[in-house]
Amino acid sequence: MKKKFLMLIALAGLLLGTVNAQRSLEIYITGLTDDTLNWFRGTAFPEFQKTHPDVTLDILTGGWGDFDAAVAGWITTGDGPDIVYLGSEYAATFGSLLADLDPYLADWSELGEFLPAALDVAKFDGHMVGLPLLMSPRPMFFRPDLAADAGAIPPLTFADSVAFVAANSGVENNAMTKMGFMDIGGGLFDAQEFIAYIWSAGGELYNADGSSAFDSAATAEALKFMYDRRRAVLPTELTAGLPPISGYPIASGLVVSGIFPMWNMPPTSDPLWENIVIGPYPAGENGQPLIQVFTDWLSVPAYAKDKELAVDFLKFIGSRDNAIALSNVAGFTPVRTDAWEALRANPVWNSMLDAAVDYGRAFSDIRASAELRPLIVEQVSMYLSDQQSLEDTQNALKEEYDSILEDNGYL
Amino acid sequence: MDPAVVARLHNFYWSLGTVAFIVVGSYLVGRLAQGVAGARGAGVLQRRRVFWGYALVSPWLIGFVIFVVGPALLSLYYSFTDYKLGRSIEWIGLENYKTLLGGLGAQGRRFMQAMYNSFYYALVGVPLQIGTALAMAVMVAQPLRGMPFFRLVFYMPVILAGGPAILLAWRYMLASNGGFINVSLQRFAELIPPFGWLYRSFIFAVESFNAFFIGVTRSDPVGPLMYVLPALLGVLVCAALAFGSAEATRRQVARTVVEVLGAILVVVLGVRAITGGSFVPHVLERLGTFTDLLTQRTSVREAGSLDYLRTGFAEHAASPLWLLGLLVAACALVGYTRLGDGGRKWLFGGVGLLFGLLALGSTVDGVRYFQAFDAASAAAGTANHHFSLFRQVVAQFPDANRVPLWLSSELWSKPSLVLITMWSSGAGMLIFLAALKGVPRSMYEAASVDGATGWQKFFRITLPMISPAMFYNVVIGLIAALQTFESVYIIQNTQTEQSLASAAYFLFVRTFRQLEIGQGAAASWILAVLIVLLTVAQFRYSRWVHYE
Repeated sequence: MKKKFLMLIALAGLLLGTVNAQRSLEIYITGLTDDTLNWFRGTAFPEFQKTHPDVTLDILTGGWGDFDAAVAGWITTGDGPDIVYLGSEYAATFGSLLADLDPYLADWSELGEFLPAALDVAKFDGHMVGLPLLMSPRPMFFRPDLAADAGAIPPLTFADSVAFVAANSGVENNAMTKMGFMDIGGGLFDAQEFIAYIWSAGGELYNADGSSAFDSAATAEALKFMYDRRRAVLPTELTAGLPPISGYPIASGLVVSGIFPMWNMPPTSDPLWENIVIGPYPAGENGQPLIQVFTDWLSVPAYAKDKELAVDFLKFIGSRDNAIALSNVAGFTPVRTDAWEALRANPVWNSMLDAAVDYGRAFSDIRASAELRPLIVEQVSMYLSDQQSLEDTQNALKEEYDSILEDNGYL
Repeated sequence: MDPAVVARLHNFYWSLGTVAFIVVGSYLVGRLAQGVAGARGAGVLQRRRVFWGYALVSPWLIGFVIFVVGPALLSLYYSFTDYKLGRSIEWIGLENYKTLLGGLGAQGRRFMQAMYNSFYYALVGVPLQIGTALAMAVMVAQPLRGMPFFRLVFYMPVILAGGPAILLAWRYMLASNGGFINVSLQRFAELIPPFGWLYRSFIFAVESFNAFFIGVTRSDPVGPLMYVLPALLGVLVCAALAFGSAEATRRQVARTVVEVLGAILVVVLGVRAITGGSFVPHVLERLGTFTDLLTQRTSVREAGSLDYLRTGFAEHAASPLWLLGLLVAACALVGYTRLGDGGRKWLFGGVGLLFGLLALGSTVDGVRYFQAFDAASAAAGTANHHFSLFRQVVAQFPDANRVPLWLSSELWSKPSLVLITMWSSGAGMLIFLAALKGVPRSMYEAASVDGATGWQKFFRITLPMISPAMFYNVVIGLIAALQTFESVYIIQNTQTEQSLASAAYFLFVRTFRQLEIGQGAAASWILAVLIVLLTVAQFRYSRWVHYE
């Protein structure tokens, strides 16, 4: 009996030893479609294992809703996936807790093929802490066929944009019949868009000393533009919005312009694209029009045990062939310019890429983003709905964001 | 090795370890209990029983300690720390509680708004939900054909409610432009003019109430209006004490007022002491004197100064807590001493009159205060943002083409949530239905013989007999309302997030999105203590519940 028991323990030990001899990579991915995950599992992983036969790969998935808590939990406990998928604004939040990849990527010749704006997203304190995977330019889309004659399309200044929206919006019986502009959330205000207008008004989010620049003239100009545009669409806060739209808002015939992600636009093969113009966000007096570019990237947490293996996988997945394949299955734009050839054959993507190159600005370096968003939503909403003056709004934004930055160690 | 095999082995080891842990843990707990029993002088048989009893109940006990008690104690500890995930933990004592209860800074302000919203769901939503449940129960209790079908239909929302698909359906139904509900209401309003007038009055009333509520939650100064509610409460209580006929009832009312208002006063003053530093000077400073209260309410001084209207009035005005204190003192006279009938009537008639004058004067002054804001803003050449939504709403009675903006406006977001909650009142209905079935038929028959009308039977027989079910629904409904989360999470959008955010939503955002574990834990403990206090109070004052 005793012998059998000892043999059982020896067998278990042997099995454990076998398990430990195996190298593994766990990759956390969020926000991608099932098809994309299947591509990883069915195509990318077996291909990687051809050169790394002793490595097992696995995907851990989750939603953006519990993303912050999940990532922070792994980093706190020092136990989690070896590679973590991060959104555009996260370098500032998690940068200090990620591995510095400069030593691993310095000699990689293919790094020069990556769009510089995309690489900036994955930098913290001047060091690469990840590798860009996919990007999504988020321009404005216009329907000239629905528009009244209100100047050039796209309007490139705040004043022209307000005039365009006013000329193309309609209200009957206290309800909207036509919307000159719709933002990404289907309403008339979005926090990321507000940041874009501060930039396109020539401003920045931070002063040189790292404090908030919400008290700047550019912020005031951005706020006034958003207010004027809101009133051009919505005469009062008691006016009803558009009827519910099923399908793509830009194809509804009720929306003349708007900001939408590509997954909320018709397929590029749709003939409607002949009537759609892609343009940048308008600019203030001292700024330039721009297009926000969101880049998702893969990072290696500082706790990862086999960083070299993790970087090997990043280089593999970031290769030109994989970038094209991944872009096709995920519906995003590749971050490598040498992978754009195929996309450029499509006139829609060609226009999109031209616009991204001409006007693109990475949505990055947003400090304490989880606390900034509710602050912007709260304060700017009150200003836009006539509940707070411009001055009070700027003061509150500045004061409270400075306090957040201080609490989070940025000041 | 095949990854699938590795994963299975991993699971196998963990399962094995878990089972071993439970077995060993249960054995140790059993031995411990056995030892304690032995020390108390239990015999062999008794000790054996104790061992097996505790050993068998231990899997649950161990789970309870590890997964409930442990995390709860840990969260209590975290609530006294500055703990953000990814950073070190720093002990800060009561700071988190001071911030939240004192409404300090952005997070304190948002927490207070969230608490106001939770109370809205409790005070407005729960009575409407219970009323709906009772009405449905009374309807389906009728011995008519097809009632089982309607019971199923009314209960189905309980199973479906909260699901994303159902809430998406509500989004479509509640669309302000072209939604089923608004289109139906508008069509009725066109066809039946009196209904149209009622419909517009409903819009006006809901928007005015919610706009004022939003102003209050955003700390827009209310000026002399802060005295109106306590003064009206004083009028009601004094009237009951002066003219109430039954001595026992009067004493009960008086003691209840003393206990409830006294507890509120103690809590409010205690919180102020915690959030304000030194206890006595701070409290006295906030209270002012009663003479101040009587003289300051008579007019709005410095009506031309915007600074005075924004902050000066509140800083110099006496606290309305004085009124509650006066009421408590007056009630203590009736509740705990013996007063002659004549003296009682004169005393409470007089105090009631004083409260009445205060209520009237404060209302008039409140209106003046609001007008002074307009005039001072115009004189200063600035926009007046004081109670701005309320002003927009009351400026004009709704036109015929106005519609409720349900999920798209902060004026309607909370009523929308209450409406969705009312729709899922089936669980309450089921409880009421069971209670209704338990009311003896003989009581109704006897009442019929005595010539009682249907309403008399309902109010004199049905309601008292189903009061235990009512009590249960009130307790459960209140707890659920204060914990409102899923519906807020799903139906909120950029426009309505702040106006919908409940206390539970606040602590979710603070903990899981912003990773501020310390402050999130403090918020959860405040909510937990509040729920316990309210539940205890409900049991304490449940004499209206009739048990056979």
